[in-house]
Amino acid sequence: MSSSPVWQSLIAIMLMVVIAYGSRVLGLLIMSRVPLGPRVRRFVDAMSSSVLIAVITPIIVHGDGGVRLAAIAAGTVAVVMRNPLVSIAMGMLCAAGWRWWFG
Amino acid sequence: MKIKENPTRLDIAGTWQGIRMMLPLAVFTIAFGLAFGVAAVHQGLAGWEAMLMSLFVFAAPSQFAALEMWHSPLPLLALAAVTLAIHTRHMLMSAALYPWLKALPQRQQFAMVILLTDSNWAMALGEYQRGERNLGILLGGGIALWGAWVGGTAIGLAFGGGITEPERFGLDVIMLCFLLMIVVGGNPRAAMALPWLAAAASALMAYWWLPPYLHVMVGAITGGVVAVLLPGRWLRESAS
Repeated sequence: MSSSPVWQSLIAIMLMVVIAYGSRVLGLLIMSRVPLGPRVRRFVDAMSSSVLIAVITPIIVHGDGGVRLAAIAAGTVAVVMRNPLVSIAMGMLCAAGWRWWFG
Repeated sequence: MKIKENPTRLDIAGTWQGIRMMLPLAVFTIAFGLAFGVAAVHQGLAGWEAMLMSLFVFAAPSQFAALEMWHSPLPLLALAAVTLAIHTRHMLMSAALYPWLKALPQRQQFAMVILLTDSNWAMALGEYQRGERNLGILLGGGIALWGAWVGGTAIGLAFGGGITEPERFGLDVIMLCFLLMIVVGGNPRAAMALPWLAAAASALMAYWWLPPYLHVMVGAITGGVVAVLLPGRWLRESAS
């Protein structure tokens, strides 16, 4: 549990809003001047998925058995069934089951 | 002889159509919003913090990633860097819509992308390629998703507080599963295996040996660089 000062939370959220909206506008601004080349596209494309990989890798490596099982289950369902909600539900079920069994 | 192209339009009827077309997906978005609300409570966020995020940031991956970093004192720089890396995707999306939007005055162009997000972008672009020129599709889709996301968050916040031992119900893995699902469920291309592997390995090493939160940037940039360095032909071969 953590509670940061209100002003800090507000700044953080404002930062996120500015960046989230700014990137949407930036695409238009850039396109109205120069079209993006294929290499830039490939870099940005790979970066935006790699950032998520980078967030979750340490969580999985340092998580308990429940977390790891959840990751395997959710990942498998996401690839095989392509159903996002089932994927999350399976992950939760596996984590809960593992902890009920071994915890 | 050339087929006359419909001019870009934006009206109420088109917006309604966009809302209606997005409704089935919006149901899922309610569930995601709910998951975000529950995860936010579990992470110790105040209700208004989570609500402000859903209202104005309106981007599930960066909101979930922010939860992971929401410890006092907030790592503002790292948070900004991560959000930026995640949102470069939206830059490409709005760039792809530019040919459609450029007929509007610039102020309206900027207003149109406020509610731009993955699903309504994909839907609108698909319709555009089929000849649709009414931008209401994009706007309506955005409105439906935004309403569902905000509503879902509110429900999650209200409901999540009553749970005392979130781990027992697997609530702590919601965020992990969501992010994982976004990565591998979206469009798993074999060509991305190497960039992703590089991203995971470099992030892990940075996590162990560098100051906190740098691992996310390290992984993101490594993944991007590796993808660019791969020869184009090699990419196509492995993707098949």
